[in-house]
Amino acid sequence: MRQEPKYQIPKKGLTVWRLYGVLETLVAIIIAGGVSFATYSFDWPKYIYFIAAAIVLVIALLEIWVFPNVRWRIWRYEVREQEIEIQSGLFIVKRTLIPMVRVQHVDTGQGPILKKYDLANISISSAATTHVIPMLITADADELRAKISELARVAEEDV
Amino acid sequence: MSKYKLHPVSAIINCAKALKNMLIPIVIILVANGFNFTFDWRDERFFQSMVPLIIIIVIALFSLVSGVVQWWTFTYWFEDNELRVQHGLFVKKKRFIPYDRIQSLNYKEGIFHRIFGLVQVSVETAGNKSGKAEAELTAITRDAANIIENEMKKLKEKPQTEEGEVLATARLIHKMSPKDLLILATTSNSVGVVLAGVLAVVSQFSEFIPYDSIYAEIEQLLRFGFLLIIVLVIVGLLVAWLVSVGITFINYYNFEVSEENERLIITRGLLEKKRITIPLNRVQAIKIVENPFRQLFGLAAVIVESAGGGFGGEKDKTVVLFPLISKKHLNTPLQQLFPRFDLDLEEATHSPKRARPYFYRIDFIWLVPLIGALSYFFFPYGMLSLLLIIPILLIGGWQFKTARFKISNEQITIMYRTLSRITFIAEKRRIQIAEQRQTYFQKRKNIASAKIVVMSGAAGASAKAYHMDEQHIDELMRWYEH
Repeated sequence: MRQEPKYQIPKKGLTVWRLYGVLETLVAIIIAGGVSFATYSFDWPKYIYFIAAAIVLVIALLEIWVFPNVRWRIWRYEVREQEIEIQSGLFIVKRTLIPMVRVQHVDTGQGPILKKYDLANISISSAATTHVIPMLITADADELRAKISELARVAEEDV
Repeated sequence: MSKYKLHPVSAIINCAKALKNMLIPIVIILVANGFNFTFDWRDERFFQSMVPLIIIIVIALFSLVSGVVQWWTFTYWFEDNELRVQHGLFVKKKRFIPYDRIQSLNYKEGIFHRIFGLVQVSVETAGNKSGKAEAELTAITRDAANIIENEMKKLKEKPQTEEGEVLATARLIHKMSPKDLLILATTSNSVGVVLAGVLAVVSQFSEFIPYDSIYAEIEQLLRFGFLLIIVLVIVGLLVAWLVSVGITFINYYNFEVSEENERLIITRGLLEKKRITIPLNRVQAIKIVENPFRQLFGLAAVIVESAGGGFGGEKDKTVVLFPLISKKHLNTPLQQLFPRFDLDLEEATHSPKRARPYFYRIDFIWLVPLIGALSYFFFPYGMLSLLLIIPILLIGGWQFKTARFKISNEQITIMYRTLSRITFIAEKRRIQIAEQRQTYFQKRKNIASAKIVVMSGAAGASAKAYHMDEQHIDELMRWYEH
């Protein structure tokens, strides 16, 4: 096996993913609440309550605990002289190689939640695809972006 | 410096285009109204029934006016080695396209064009991902089109050495005879699609069959019904085949591929003549596609993935190079066009034996619930759905046999199958990204898959080497790295 990419996502990223999980669970609770209310009003069978509760529980468990942990463990990245390598995935572990010559542009993005935690997503675009390195410390992300665009400029080539 | 206008027929074509886009709403209005028009102005429903008609007339007028305005405001001219286009009534939009950014001029002749001896010219550059041409000259005379060609040539012609002018002549690479077109239509996947549509239409006629009188004599019904189904199927097949032949002829009539000055030139079409050029150095990958039926007869289609430039207005950037060619005769023309390519797959790396189950395992995720549901709700006949497992296993085994890849110097060839067998050939310098993929289950058996993506259209075109030995996938990734 080739070496895994060096760097992991900062621990704070895990916290934010959990937070996203909490938000998703809230949405699920609201939907389940609506279904339960309908069940109560229209006298639908009782087992619907239990199904709704079970679904909410499963979603909470997966989205707050299991998925963020797995994601965080798998996600790795490395920026080398000639290429960028990103390892990502949940069920399928993907290892993507993007040569510097192929990088068209690099963006950093930051939503309100990420801003609060001082994190940013980097997205790297080739002519055909876009790849994201999520949840980096903002300063690191900016530095990385500068580095990538500098390296990419060295390797100019048409498609 | 003179400015040029488009031919006035452009106005009509613009108008027709606008109307074509409005066709569906118009039909909806008419149908919703139930066609109950009354032209008797004394009738109290007269105004009510006139409203949709008025709407339609307004739409038609609007599109006519906008078509005329579009034509009236559109000008193009040549200046500073650029093609410059200006259009718009209130907001003047200008677009300057430097000649050296122009990849190709693609021609299209619709029915209107051919009456007046005009062409539509699409100016293709590398940078358009939306599938729309950088600039589109809706209708100009052939002479005007030649002027543009010459203007561009003036700049692009590199100064010749004193060896003398080398006049490039177009080499004919491949053409399709009407017989080829018939085979193409007969073996295409679209027959099935058309057949389904035709059967749907034909089955509408079954309403006119007087079932009641037939029910009296069940025996006769069985015989008659059986006959009827046979006749329906035969008629359906025949009509489907005819439709397929018709569509193929309209699209591919006079199909010719030639090569001139390192550029591919493809012309085709019966009612609408199209001509496109693709610079050979813009070709990102070639795909040889054999659907099962064609594979049986040793036939294949060849598709070119190119960065920018396709038939203008078509969604993706894939261009059919040879719609149908026998595998035996495939290598010569391909070698002519792409001399660097190694088309030999003799020593390819195959998927290892232990990877075989992975080709059909994934299908059971949707298959098991489906069979369970069918068996439960349609007991006992639903149990027949268990038979679905057989084709899934067979196709999976077939995919396993097909899966292979080969690396030769700077080129990779990947062969895989969904149902059609696809051979994907690309050079390293054309590959945008490479990706290794591995699930938990694959890891246990040291198996991995890989995917490569080349630029083509908006999303790119990709090929996957499925379920190979981990070491071989590693080799592939290392090859791409250096």
